[in-house]
Amino acid sequence: MEFDKNSTLKLAKLARLSLNAEQLNSLEKDLTSIVSFIDQLKEINTEKIDPTSNSLDQDLILREDVAENKLSNEDLLKNVPESELGFFVVPKVIE
Amino acid sequence: MSNNWQTVIGIEIHAQVNSKSKLFSSSSTGFGSAPNTQVSLVDAAMPGMLPVINKFCIEQAVKSGLGLNAKINSKSIFDRKNYFYQDLPQGYQISQFKDPIVGEGSIEIDLGDEKKVIGIERLHLEQDAGKSLHDQDPNLTFVDLNRSGIALMEIVSKPDMASPEEAVAYVKKVRTILRYLDTCDGNMEQGSLRADVNISVRKEGDELGTRCEIKNLNSFKHINAAINFEVDRQIKVIEGGDKIKQETRLYDVTLDKTRSMRSKEDAHDYRYFPDPDLLPLKLNQSWIDDLKKDLPELPDEKKARFVEQYKISDYDAEVLTSDRLTSEYFEKVAKNRNVKLAVSWVASELFAILNKLNLTIEKSPVNSDQLGDLIDEIENGIISNRAAKEVFEEMCESSKSVKEIINDKGLVQISDTTEIEKFIDQVLIENPDNVQKYKEGKTKLLGFFIGEVMKATKGKANPGLLNQIVKKKLDN
Amino acid sequence: MIENLTIEQTSKLLNDKQASALEITDIYLKKINTAKKLNCFITVSEDKAIEAAKETDERISKNKKIGFLDGVPLAYKDLFCTNDILTTASSKILSNFTPTYESTVTANCKDQGAVVLGKLNCDEFAMGSTNKTSFYGPVINPWKSIDNEDELVPGGSSGGSAASVAADLCVASLGTDTGGSIRQPASFTGLVGLKPTYGRVSRWGTVAFASSLDQAGPIAKTVEDAAILLQTISGHDNKDSTSSIRSNENFYSNLDSSVKGLKIGVPKEYMSDDLPEEIQKFWNEGKKILTENGAELTEVSLPSTKTALPAYYIIAPAEASSNLSRYDGVKYGLRVKEKSLTEMYESTRSEGFGDEVKRRIMIGTYVLSSGYYDAYYIKAQKIRSIIKNDFDNVFKNVDALFTPATPNTAFPINREETDPVQNYLNDIFTVPANLAGLPAISIPFGLDNSGLPIGMQLITNSFQEQMLLNISKNLQDTINFNNRPTQWWK
Ligand SMILES: [Mg+2]
Ligand SMILES: [Zn+2]
Repeated sequence: MEFDKNSTLKLAKLARLSLNAEQLNSLEKDLTSIVSFIDQLKEINTEKIDPTSNSLDQDLILREDVAENKLSNEDLLKNVPESELGFFVVPKVIE
Repeated sequence: MSNNWQTVIGIEIHAQVNSKSKLFSSSSTGFGSAPNTQVSLVDAAMPGMLPVINKFCIEQAVKSGLGLNAKINSKSIFDRKNYFYQDLPQGYQISQFKDPIVGEGSIEIDLGDEKKVIGIERLHLEQDAGKSLHDQDPNLTFVDLNRSGIALMEIVSKPDMASPEEAVAYVKKVRTILRYLDTCDGNMEQGSLRADVNISVRKEGDELGTRCEIKNLNSFKHINAAINFEVDRQIKVIEGGDKIKQETRLYDVTLDKTRSMRSKEDAHDYRYFPDPDLLPLKLNQSWIDDLKKDLPELPDEKKARFVEQYKISDYDAEVLTSDRLTSEYFEKVAKNRNVKLAVSWVASELFAILNKLNLTIEKSPVNSDQLGDLIDEIENGIISNRAAKEVFEEMCESSKSVKEIINDKGLVQISDTTEIEKFIDQVLIENPDNVQKYKEGKTKLLGFFIGEVMKATKGKANPGLLNQIVKKKLDN
Repeated sequence: MIENLTIEQTSKLLNDKQASALEITDIYLKKINTAKKLNCFITVSEDKAIEAAKETDERISKNKKIGFLDGVPLAYKDLFCTNDILTTASSKILSNFTPTYESTVTANCKDQGAVVLGKLNCDEFAMGSTNKTSFYGPVINPWKSIDNEDELVPGGSSGGSAASVAADLCVASLGTDTGGSIRQPASFTGLVGLKPTYGRVSRWGTVAFASSLDQAGPIAKTVEDAAILLQTISGHDNKDSTSSIRSNENFYSNLDSSVKGLKIGVPKEYMSDDLPEEIQKFWNEGKKILTENGAELTEVSLPSTKTALPAYYIIAPAEASSNLSRYDGVKYGLRVKEKSLTEMYESTRSEGFGDEVKRRIMIGTYVLSSGYYDAYYIKAQKIRSIIKNDFDNVFKNVDALFTPATPNTAFPINREETDPVQNYLNDIFTVPANLAGLPAISIPFGLDNSGLPIGMQLITNSFQEQMLLNISKNLQDTINFNNRPTQWWK
């Protein structure tokens, strides 16, 4: 896969990254190189293999349904860039 | 609207699991707290935070699946659905994509005379998002994460519905089943149960049309209205020579219109993949079987039993079982009492007052024991049906017992023969002409005499006795 | 006296009351001050360190010392969230983030009385093997070639964790290893670096890079110290669903350096003509030592070895692209003000993330996107099954595997890099253990002709860390590597 401007911009949009012309250029080149590196896997036959998404062979741990609220609004918002009246705030969103 | 248009409707219901804590964190799920006070480090997606699943939510999902006659999957996977939104702190929602906890099932809906089977595609567990407030500031949107991470069961139907009536009946039925199972409180006003409705239209015999999804409908009225509007809109678009654009729409309650949702305009690529923070969920068949054994009687079974056991009409049974608490209320009232009276008092009088007061049966001002007492007084001939209505009205407002109300209002029926005879004699003496006419063959005048006596006794004369005695006296 | 202390030695000094924790801490804080050139620390938590040291001294005076780590000055990779101490993941996007909570790993050390000197520089979000991707600038390797004055990379991503121990700015440190990020820098700096079995150590409170691969582990001067730290940080944590339910083990007191009768496999796929001669030389020497000490060496085959690196560069970026979505300027961290939400997201993330992080987010987004998911992501997860299966087969016949840790030694910071894939090759020997979730260790073997450290790697089956440490101790005791870098930075 060769990355061109359009495919790179589309990915950047999905990933919420804005890129200037220079970044776009070097990313196109880098992505093309990385993808050609990972493309070696295409030769490997994996037809009858199940995928592994986690190597730990264990049952999922379940939690009891107990409610406890330990975090105050103040602590929750301790690192917040912007807040009002205990809310997180963002630029106006129109639904 | 042309006659040969067909509507195809599929529905996604988001039902909040009635758990105390969230799906992957131990924050409380309580409704109505101050903003951002039920948010844990996990819910706010602080760096390094990890999900740990709530066992109770898994049980509730499986129970719900069993109630929808669906297949329970022995292995299911939690996936990440990736997208950016201000109410989604992680930048992804933990949901289930390829391997949901519950697979295919079906339920039956009642459409007056006929029944219809609606297919269930799947039920999966997922996290709810936070809440955005857009009207607090002209330039800002406020975000409250109290709901963020609450457990939802998303129940996806097959596109088996063909009208708003069917759609409403379907959502009502699912809601009833969940409330019977006690897995979701079904409170639509508080957002515990919402519906996303997918609608398309086509000409009979044609392929499926392009669908639009109307998001987050939270009342039966809105579901009905939104579908009606949307079907009309789609037909107009097509008949005007345009194509339907697949999109997400919102129903605007004040305008009674659906409109395109701006924030959902970009083409989405959710990049689902198994959440590496969670291992696959494996369910043991014997554990599922145990849950199945403990399942309560469900609405369809209960309805059939009511028809059989109480010999009531299909319609009455439907009404009385449409809600678990109502059915339980009714059974308490009907126990060892006249079933007809029980049906009419619950389904007519009680429902009317609840409707008027806009209350659910949990909040009924008259409980089942009290209503039972009232019916006892009718059955025992202490009060008339008419007087009972007066008593009932008072019961809704005061905490007095049935007996107290009857006494205070002096509503005890006159069932003493000698006393009734005194009133009758007086009436006969005052109306010699009519007595004469009756004796000459105008027997229809019987009603006149009864009416007069009732007037004189202020309606308290036992109607059965009165009838009997008047007849006897006149015929002598 | 207080120079190049190990955990064992520090503990003994304190026990014998030859030095107070406060004195030792003070000396380390001063050393940190004189080594600013190395750029090891992002944050020095001086006040907290002094406070903790005083508490240790008080416990010692009351004979209530709580364990080996009591009063021992440690430092942590800046990926571990530390309550009330800035935690940046070496990224601009978290450059103003102070957690209100403590990672399980560092909380365990705290419970044992450890003194935290501060937070160590690393590659941004642990993405890199040079420590050059840090927003706070590169870490300089305390080691220098005898041939020139070039500043060298310490390796990465736990570059600060390695360099700080090598320069003796702390007694030992903690790092994280997703594809080799503990073992490679340990190898570049002449130290012991251990990556535990996936699930052995809780990930709660550690900034995530690739969730199914990340494990925290020690970087230390000796195998004994690594054992002490490992047993401190490991054990089941009910806040991490991928934490093993196995009970913890006493790795330190169970250390047994005999290798008699052990079968050790040498995977033939790790041999190549490209491997520098000197690394080959030490590898051979290691085989000889193990044989002489009573182990049985056999050549084994891991046929899928060459697929590990490309599979890793699909899986790790995929998980990372999702894990890093939470850095959006809404709840914490950097926010670049904009008029619309989307612009705010885009500007914040573009300004907040460095180039390597962006590259990996882009690749991760690509391999998960519709139309490519099966061809890349699922394919890589299948490859992972094959790799795991290869290891399972080999471990039916051998107790451990012995390989080089890295394909090269430390290289100049200003080495020209035109292709990102070139750097990815640094992880070639370390990545397979991450994909299979196996424990692995890098131990120092000697210096190359330029005077730079070379490390060798041991890998065992899941949860066989005791075996891993035992064999390592055998090699350590035989080799007796005790070279230190000259303190040119002072
Ligand atoms: Mg939906
Ligand atoms: Zn949903």
